[in-house]
Amino acid sequence: MVSGDCCTKYIRIDPSGMKRVIARLDIKGNKLVKGIHLEGWRYLPDSPNDYCNKYYLDGIDEIIYVDAVASLYNRDSLKEIIKKTTDNVFVPLTVGGGIRTIEDAIEILRSGADKVAICSQAVKTPEIISEVASRFGNQCMVLSIQAKKNKNGSYSVWYDVAREKTEIDVIEWAVRGEEAGAGEILLTGIDHEGLEKGMDLELIKKVSEAVSIPVIASGGCGSSTHFADAVNSGADAVAVAKSLHYGKMNIKSLKSELGKLGIDIRK
Amino acid sequence: MSETLHGLPDKVIFCKKCCISNQRPSTKREFSKKTTKDTETVGFGDDGICDTCKWFEFKKTIDWNEREKQLQALCDKFRRNDGTYDVIVPSSGGKDSFYVAHQLKHKYGMNPLTVTWAPHQYTQIGWDNFQSMIDAGFDNVLVTPNGQVHRVLTKLAFENLVNPFQPFIIGQKNVAPRAALQYGVQLIMYGENQAEAHNKFDENLSPLMDISHFCKKENEDLYFGGVHINDLKNHGIEDKDMFLYKPLEESDIRKAGIEVHFYSFYKNWSPQENYYYAMEHSGFKSNPDGRSEGTYTKFASLDDKIDGQHYYTMFIKFGQGRAMNDVNRDIRDGFISREEGIELINKYDGEFPSKYFQEVLDYMGITAERYWEVIDKARSPHLWEKVDGEWRLLHKVH
Repeated sequence: MVSGDCCTKYIRIDPSGMKRVIARLDIKGNKLVKGIHLEGWRYLPDSPNDYCNKYYLDGIDEIIYVDAVASLYNRDSLKEIIKKTTDNVFVPLTVGGGIRTIEDAIEILRSGADKVAICSQAVKTPEIISEVASRFGNQCMVLSIQAKKNKNGSYSVWYDVAREKTEIDVIEWAVRGEEAGAGEILLTGIDHEGLEKGMDLELIKKVSEAVSIPVIASGGCGSSTHFADAVNSGADAVAVAKSLHYGKMNIKSLKSELGKLGIDIRK
Repeated sequence: MSETLHGLPDKVIFCKKCCISNQRPSTKREFSKKTTKDTETVGFGDDGICDTCKWFEFKKTIDWNEREKQLQALCDKFRRNDGTYDVIVPSSGGKDSFYVAHQLKHKYGMNPLTVTWAPHQYTQIGWDNFQSMIDAGFDNVLVTPNGQVHRVLTKLAFENLVNPFQPFIIGQKNVAPRAALQYGVQLIMYGENQAEAHNKFDENLSPLMDISHFCKKENEDLYFGGVHINDLKNHGIEDKDMFLYKPLEESDIRKAGIEVHFYSFYKNWSPQENYYYAMEHSGFKSNPDGRSEGTYTKFASLDDKIDGQHYYTMFIKFGQGRAMNDVNRDIRDGFISREEGIELINKYDGEFPSKYFQEVLDYMGITAERYWEVIDKARSPHLWEKVDGEWRLLHKVH
């Protein structure tokens, strides 16, 4: 049985308040994919592990794997990729996509993940948040929220890779998630995702102000300025995907630029 | 052996590479369709592989650099520098036509006129994307048919052919050549050759569209919605109402030197890649409701409220709906495996398009009862069975 202490080898929130650079890798089968607005499955040429190793050597602070199709196919295929990752990547690893039961979470953690990110199942059965949190600790439970802006300016929660809409308000959902025991929120702005044109700052600000747990902003970061904007809007960490995968952004130079922009970042 | 409707083969075969079955019709000229039987179906080899997958195998051997040169030569031949339009791009404002128009303008230095045949009923997202295309830098002519006539033709096409989309298909094929005649443009560039999806292999070998899709044949009886053109008066439609629907004179097209090409002949066409292109170069937006009803995709066939019915009626008649359509394309383009495709079909195919159902009924002026009467009558006994009051498909892809 996996115990709660399996996930405590890393300090979740840096007490120094330093902001984290996270690489997000969306996975389909054994391939790294990248869509736009969480739609489309364009493959990248190398294996997810190759990208991950490179990001680690370049100084990434954390890694997030998301099985981009798990909820469509009712399957998960990340275990092998996770196991390989833990051989030579020694930063916190969050894994999401296809976690439907506490047993799924155990499997993912046993394979070597430090945290699990849950989106669709949390919408369907919110009690999974507190189940995971009470079993493994809050630091292990990342509530993944796919958010899309409505015409009236509010944000709704989506799930199943941004294919299904709910009437749940994102801010209320984030607060409920924190109350239920989530230790962190992975906040993906669907309408900004995949375009590298900047992040949904209003969304980041609203959610960060509503909760006291760290918010990882995801979707649209294509430059150090975008990153800094997200942090200045309240994000504790920013997940970068496309710009890293396509080599447009380098982690060392990103960190150096962020330093110049006055963002307190791990070196 | 059970009876088959619509002239379908009685033995159902699914392709071993994609998920298409031998029940899927090919594109056929619309003007002669009197009943649902006037269809041909996709070809299969003895090896259980459909013609379309064979085409995609062949596609891997195409020298796209050579095709690029051919496209450049074509553009050089038709490009004008006198300020007039030199190419017509039939466009809905969707991702595919945007990609074609944008590349022709910015990569090949053409001066395109986009021409749009209006949907039966615009969805908000369809209208927004259409406006985004124009805002991205294109002149456009929107041709909208007489609403009363279009409604009647849609109802007739639904009741007689179980294809409420037919009036759109007819207009879509006529509208660009007619505009070419009107504006004195000699090149028309369509996006995808439908042969890529479900027609005969050989049709992909030519860059040109067969002009019989929009031209008259000699001494031909014309049918619309399965009704002879002379009998449309019984439905309140006069001959003068049919200008936009009637095929053009072949001699006019030939005299004007109009050529109708497919962009997919020159480019390795991929709807998913076109989506990325549109997202990166315009204000194109995917379906605000998430995935479209009946499938997993968010970016295709978004502009007409009747789109969902187009795919649903195919699901009823041929046992393959919208998800099946998307899956087959994604498998052939290498984005998903056949196993993944089957999962998606099991999950989404045949889901009823309820969002605009009432509006579509009101548009056609029929009741839900009448709708289901037509639908249930179109279920071929070799494809459907009723168990405990529920219709079930007899053959599922596996």
